[in-house]
Amino acid sequence: MGLVESFLIYGAITGAVYALLAVGFTLIYGVADVVNMAHGAFYMLGAYIFFSFALELFQLNLYLALILAAIAVGIIASVIHRIFIDPIAEDIIATLVVTVGVALMLQQVMTIVYGIGHVEIPPFLPGSIVIADVTVTYSKILAVAVSLILFFTLWTFMRKAKVGAAMRAAAQDREVAMLMGINTTRLHMLTMAISGSFAAVAGVMISSSTSQMADPFMWLFPLVMSFSIVILGGLGNVKGTFVGALIVGFAETGVVTFVPEGTYLKGAAALAIMVAVLLLRPRGLFGKHIELED
Amino acid sequence: MVTTYLTRAYRSFAIHVLDVPSRLLALLLFQPLLFLPMVLPTSASTNYLLSVLVFGSLSAIFAASWDLLVGRCGQMTLGHAIFFGLGSYVTTMAWVYLGWPIWATIPLAVLITTLASLFIGFPALRVKGPYLALISMALPLIATSLIFYFKDVTGGENGLPMPISGRFFPQMNVFDLRTGEYYLTLLLVAVSGIILYKIAISRTGMVFVSILDDELASKACGINVTKYKMMAFAISAAFASLSGAVYAHILTVASPFAMGTTRSFFVVIMTVFGGMGTIAGGIVGAYLIHFIDSYVLRVIVDVPVEWHPFIFIGIVVIFILKWPRGITRFVTDGLEDLAEEREIEERGAHIWKKYKRKKKSTPEG
Amino acid sequence: MHLLEVENLTKRFGGLTAVKNVSFHIDEGEIVGLMGPNGAGKTTLFHVITGFLKADSGTVKLRGENILGLPPHKIVNKGIARTFQVVRPFRHLPTIANVLVALKSPRGSKKIEWIKTPERKALELLGDVGLSEMMMEPAETLPHGDLKRLEIARALGTEPELLLLDEPFAGLNPIETDLLTKSLRTIHLDGHTMLIVEHKLHALMKLAKRVLVLHYGEKIAEGDPEDIAKNKKVIEVYMGKVA
Repeated sequence: MGLVESFLIYGAITGAVYALLAVGFTLIYGVADVVNMAHGAFYMLGAYIFFSFALELFQLNLYLALILAAIAVGIIASVIHRIFIDPIAEDIIATLVVTVGVALMLQQVMTIVYGIGHVEIPPFLPGSIVIADVTVTYSKILAVAVSLILFFTLWTFMRKAKVGAAMRAAAQDREVAMLMGINTTRLHMLTMAISGSFAAVAGVMISSSTSQMADPFMWLFPLVMSFSIVILGGLGNVKGTFVGALIVGFAETGVVTFVPEGTYLKGAAALAIMVAVLLLRPRGLFGKHIELED
Repeated sequence: MVTTYLTRAYRSFAIHVLDVPSRLLALLLFQPLLFLPMVLPTSASTNYLLSVLVFGSLSAIFAASWDLLVGRCGQMTLGHAIFFGLGSYVTTMAWVYLGWPIWATIPLAVLITTLASLFIGFPALRVKGPYLALISMALPLIATSLIFYFKDVTGGENGLPMPISGRFFPQMNVFDLRTGEYYLTLLLVAVSGIILYKIAISRTGMVFVSILDDELASKACGINVTKYKMMAFAISAAFASLSGAVYAHILTVASPFAMGTTRSFFVVIMTVFGGMGTIAGGIVGAYLIHFIDSYVLRVIVDVPVEWHPFIFIGIVVIFILKWPRGITRFVTDGLEDLAEEREIEERGAHIWKKYKRKKKSTPEG
Repeated sequence: MHLLEVENLTKRFGGLTAVKNVSFHIDEGEIVGLMGPNGAGKTTLFHVITGFLKADSGTVKLRGENILGLPPHKIVNKGIARTFQVVRPFRHLPTIANVLVALKSPRGSKKIEWIKTPERKALELLGDVGLSEMMMEPAETLPHGDLKRLEIARALGTEPELLLLDEPFAGLNPIETDLLTKSLRTIHLDGHTMLIVEHKLHALMKLAKRVLVLHYGEKIAEGDPEDIAKNKKVIEVYMGKVA
């Protein structure tokens, strides 16, 4: 009995937080047509920079550290886009290889600077609350709140603000957008900045409310998760990402809750979903890019 | 890169100047490698060199196998290390749990990994380019999770160790052991390289290239593209697992870290350095990387170990940024070997002569 | 029994109906032409017949056997080969290797008589289209006209009964057109049935005994080339309404 409630509540929590993680990935794909394999690395970078600001270097207030980390990663992501991705963006295979290379380079940098073991990521709030017989930490609730706020802020921004409209236009047709006077390179850099900073926030919130640690190899798992969610929801579709995130979140929680020692199998659930979607309905739930045979 | 031009220069030289079949010439140049351990004194530094060559050889097999799949067939994967790891684990587990001898466990490892690759390939190869690359990256992650999950059987994080008797030549002392491993791996590189090369230039290899060039047109030629992709996948997996299995017996442990993304990416680095699509390029590139890593970055200029991967990856990333065609073309001009290959040329010339004679006797309508 | 029988074939792309209720048949030994202004649905029709696109309704039968829904390579191995409007050579392979790939298909490799090697057979096919001299050249170095002929040689490598040619004369100068016409006649005499999409009516007239005309996905005329050339509706469709 307790398991089912646990599954429902934790599933929702995981799903909500994953939405924040995945939306950046879908955003940069939708707007700039880039499959950013370094997305998980931005997640990791967020956690590490947060660690430095909060514990090591400045002993800052955690919330301030979070904001600074988000901004820092946003800038870094933007610069990385300009240097490593923009020159070869038309070439899918090259972007794949380069972004994986960037991710690995960041992994190595983390190893060099912080060491090969893990560092501690402190939780934001102590204590917990009991909902329907399930213990939920305040940290987790905060994580959900932050994720939802940021996610819906982005959604509104895309719908209402001029720049948001520009992003949607660029997503539909890069050339026409350029003809309309939209500086696509700068637009893409902005998009990447948002994408990266969201990933960074997700990195901080997820690691601080679950494992409470960060290591240089932690970037692969979020990448696989993001990819799985975005494939399920439909590449480039923000609404789809939210739905996809919930489904994947529940799937993962299901495995963890109901399968003995299922924590180890988290990745397997995401991979299974990804493969199933790619074989049965490649455009995902809401995607419009129908991959024709020819 | 540089090596490709050197290889071509050497080939032209061999064929046009010396008029000696390039294969014979390769054999002549290969000889010093055979005599190396006998000529050098028994010392720690010789041991070091032999170690570098041993691991270089294993990487060479691994890289050559990847090159067939990616450089010739165009199926970009970034998680090739999974086959390497599977090879390591199957052989170690068979050795530890079944008590089989090495010459049985290694073939078993290759067999099982190849079968697994068919199982994986069946869904994986149906998806488009970037998806295949991503799924392939996810696989080692899943495998590692499974290894941790079944830690009682697999040894989890710490890997599964073998006692010393798991080595190839357990009775020998350190120096002789290294020499033995050296010759063994050298032999394996030679055999694997030749087999992979022969496949690449065979008509099956041509079909692989047709898939690389234009999958749709290939289907229009009646080719069952999925079948050939699986074939490339399986052959590639077989050799990758071979290198993984041998690796396990040299280190006497099967470790989950053998399956990292870094190892998978290094294969990209090696083939880019050596010339993608040429099979030989993967082999040359592997040795090159190992040499730079073990000598240039250690002995000549002392660079801390953590920096090595960063440097290699950085170089390749810059290379791709400057010459994206170099990697998306997948195949450098090395595919001339399909044309230069003696067999087809000789047969072709022979047939052409006959054809011309026939043409003269039966005028065209 | 007809070699190829297409009945009420329809293919839609969202709101656009590219092929609407098209029916026709081809008998063994015929050369049939397929015409129509750009966008009439000719290439789409090819795609559906050869399995590259799925039809929404209708049937396609080869010697009475329903082939609709089969994957492209299976259809090739049943005996229908095609060329593409925009050439699709295997750029990295030498010319002869392009044909060798087709000869590696199940159907292509079956028909090689015991006395011949695949290389000989490939060279023969190249000779049929006049490309023997280029045999060792990488396909990517070939000029456009040669590539079009290579497409045909490659298609022939699969030993087809029915050959679907999509604008084989496009981009060819008069001399090349002449040579190709001769080659196609030879190929026809060798026993291949052909369905040719082409705009150049004069080239088509020399080859085809029967011509179909499509417009906006529908068949609007069928008959021998002379009649089609005089058909008011066809002229209207190509030239626009005469006041």
